Amino acid sequence: MKCFSRYLPYIFRPPNTILSSSCHTEADIISTVEFNHTGELLATGDKGGRVVIFQREQESKNQVHRRGEYNVYSTFQSHEPEFDYLKSLEIEEKINKIRWLPQQNAAYFLLSTNDKTVKLWKVSERDKRPEGYNLKDEEGRLRDPATITTLRVPVLRPMDLMVEATPRRVFANAHTYHINSISVNSDYETYMSADDLRINLWNFEITNQSFNIVDIKPANMEELTEVITAAEFHPHHCNSFVYSSSKGTIRLCDMRASALCDRHSKFFEEPEDPSNRSFFSEIISSISDVKFSHSGRYIMTRDYLTVKVWDLNMENRPIETYQVHDYLRSKLCSLYENDCIFDKFECVWNGSDSVIMTGSYNNFFRMFDRNTKRDVTLEASRENSKPRAILKPRKVCVGGKRRKDEISVDSLDFSKKILHTAWHPSENIIAVAATNNLYIFQDKVN
Amino acid sequence: MEFKLEAHRIVSISLGKIYNSRVQRGGIKLHKNLLVSLVLRSARQVYLSDPCPGLYLAGPAGSPAVPPPPPSPQQQQQQQPGEPAAGPPAGWGEPPPPPPAARAAWPEPEPQPQPQPERPAAPVTGAGDAPRGGEVEAAEAAWRRVEGAREAAEGGAAGPAGGSDGFPEGPRGARRQCGCPPGAEDRPGAPGACPRLACCAPRPAEDEPPAPPAVGPRKRGAAGVGGGPAGGPASGSSPLKKPRRNSEEQPGGAAAAAAEEEEMETGNVANLISIFGSSFSGLLRKSPGGGREEAEGEESGPEAAEPGQICCDKPVLRDINPWSTAIVAF
Repeated sequence: MKCFSRYLPYIFRPPNTILSSSCHTEADIISTVEFNHTGELLATGDKGGRVVIFQREQESKNQVHRRGEYNVYSTFQSHEPEFDYLKSLEIEEKINKIRWLPQQNAAYFLLSTNDKTVKLWKVSERDKRPEGYNLKDEEGRLRDPATITTLRVPVLRPMDLMVEATPRRVFANAHTYHINSISVNSDYETYMSADDLRINLWNFEITNQSFNIVDIKPANMEELTEVITAAEFHPHHCNSFVYSSSKGTIRLCDMRASALCDRHSKFFEEPEDPSNRSFFSEIISSISDVKFSHSGRYIMTRDYLTVKVWDLNMENRPIETYQVHDYLRSKLCSLYENDCIFDKFECVWNGSDSVIMTGSYNNFFRMFDRNTKRDVTLEASRENSKPRAILKPRKVCVGGKRRKDEISVDSLDFSKKILHTAWHPSENIIAVAATNNLYIFQDKVN
Repeated sequence: MEFKLEAHRIVSISLGKIYNSRVQRGGIKLHKNLLVSLVLRSARQVYLSDPCPGLYLAGPAGSPAVPPPPPSPQQQQQQQPGEPAAGPPAGWGEPPPPPPAARAAWPEPEPQPQPQPERPAAPVTGAGDAPRGGEVEAAEAAWRRVEGAREAAEGGAAGPAGGSDGFPEGPRGARRQCGCPPGAEDRPGAPGACPRLACCAPRPAEDEPPAPPAVGPRKRGAAGVGGGPAGGPASGSSPLKKPRRNSEEQPGGAAAAAAEEEEMETGNVANLISIFGSSFSGLLRKSPGGGREEAEGEESGPEAAEPGQICCDKPVLRDINPWSTAIVAF
């Protein structure tokens, strides 16, 4: 198991939040974290509709031991609060998901979405500017043509690097319900957006229409029993995608089979354990995240208490189940009262699909090594993390005697939850969002 | 017994969540409300299937809301108000006087002047019948079981039990048999027992399983009763009822939820009133739009906006006493 050290504390918000995390505003809460395909860029979205992109420093030859740090590269307001006058609904500006497009030229492209609208942003650098216009002076004011006596050719002169983000496409008005997922297809021409009841397929070039490929809305809404909770395209097969439901099931669909993929090709469901039945069985079986492995052979799902790995070739049960925080099973009623039971935790694979990671409460996050079957609990907190320090594994004491370093279940802070994490596509660098703070941890350099 | 208390508590919490979901930013979250409605339904089923005769304590005698037989479902509903939740210590108190009247008014918020419990028009129940799903049958089955037990037990129960069984749901059929007499003494074969318990369980909206929580009761009140687009039968509806009704009122956990509220202890009731009262106007404003994305029952769904429906009810609703208004709003 690799040791992770805190390389640098990237505090996402202004210093006054360092003093106490309760000082932060609601808008600063990070709602999504995503590395791009090379790992050079790390994007975060927050509840205030802003996107902040970090870029990794190029490793310098002088300091081979110093891995590239992530510094702020660009910040922009992606979504604004809106109001749907027809339905008297306020549309939150919170960024639900960010997904990067693979880089095809010098600019970077990402999709960001709130509850209703997906936007394609182009992030590009500008380090030269043209000077020497004939009809404009240096401040941009128009010159009187009568005063022009000579002509010159404008030249490009270097300038301070400026990173600008421009919205290139806005994909709106296609979702009645709240968008929970977006996923870029491996053909790099299409992507899908999923809300509670429908999944739409878009072409990046076309914003005024989308294809509906999944629709589980019943004719009679009173018969509604499940909703879509997450969806993702297969990493290599552009015709396949999966979507998870609130009933704990996953469906794999093949777009070649029919235009409307209401009928699944594969249906993944684990029979419920009747001994665990309670008032809240349905809630805790609702899947909050589904992720394909990089290989495309497995899918990982996260429900409230567990992470499961499924083999695409076996539908009747997962091949691996990991308990994230089973000690919460006896506290479901309290967690229902304080709404924590509705928290939607995400899960991520590492680059080689050998380790999976997910978040928990008290700013804990967990990693499970699929090969060695070992797991570790780590904490993302300022107090415990000095630069270059190695993260110390944490342990939750379930009952009986509490050892010195352990923390008891009742002492857990349920307001500090780690819902969003990301793993660098090829290296052991992880980004962990703890409320309004972003922590970036890196594998210890030996 | 503990299960019942636990179930009751969970129902209270769930109702609170459903209410809060209406006022939060971003509109109503379908997923969360669906999950809450599932919990509500589970709790309700546990409650219904765990008969505890000792809980059915006497309620306030001479409840004004008790209609004389024949027991139309509507009437039985309206007896609801008269039933104090005198049961478990968990919070069964007598509802304050307004609630009974309000409760009677619940099924038909708009036009009828307040406490006419005997109004036969409780279209809500009628309407609620139609779109019910399978869960209703389950609820009904549970209800019948419970009723059977109660009837057996009520021989010794003192006076009108009224609402110790907080769950309003129940098969209409059972209710009809019960014939809810005004007082226990009227009930044949159950001397001193409170038939009310069995038959007078809070009806308004309770026919609906807790599936569509937030929407149901509110819509029911606001839109009035009467066949809605969902095709709820308007038979028995008072002519004053609005013919159009949001489908959301249909088998709604919300309805049940609202009914549940009425069963809660006075303290809870007071809290709910204060909650509702403070946000009531906001709720009304939001209702047409806010209801767009609710869980089941949202037939017209986000695709259809019916803002006018609620607006019309405003003046009527305001005439009703605060309690019924609160229920309606919810």
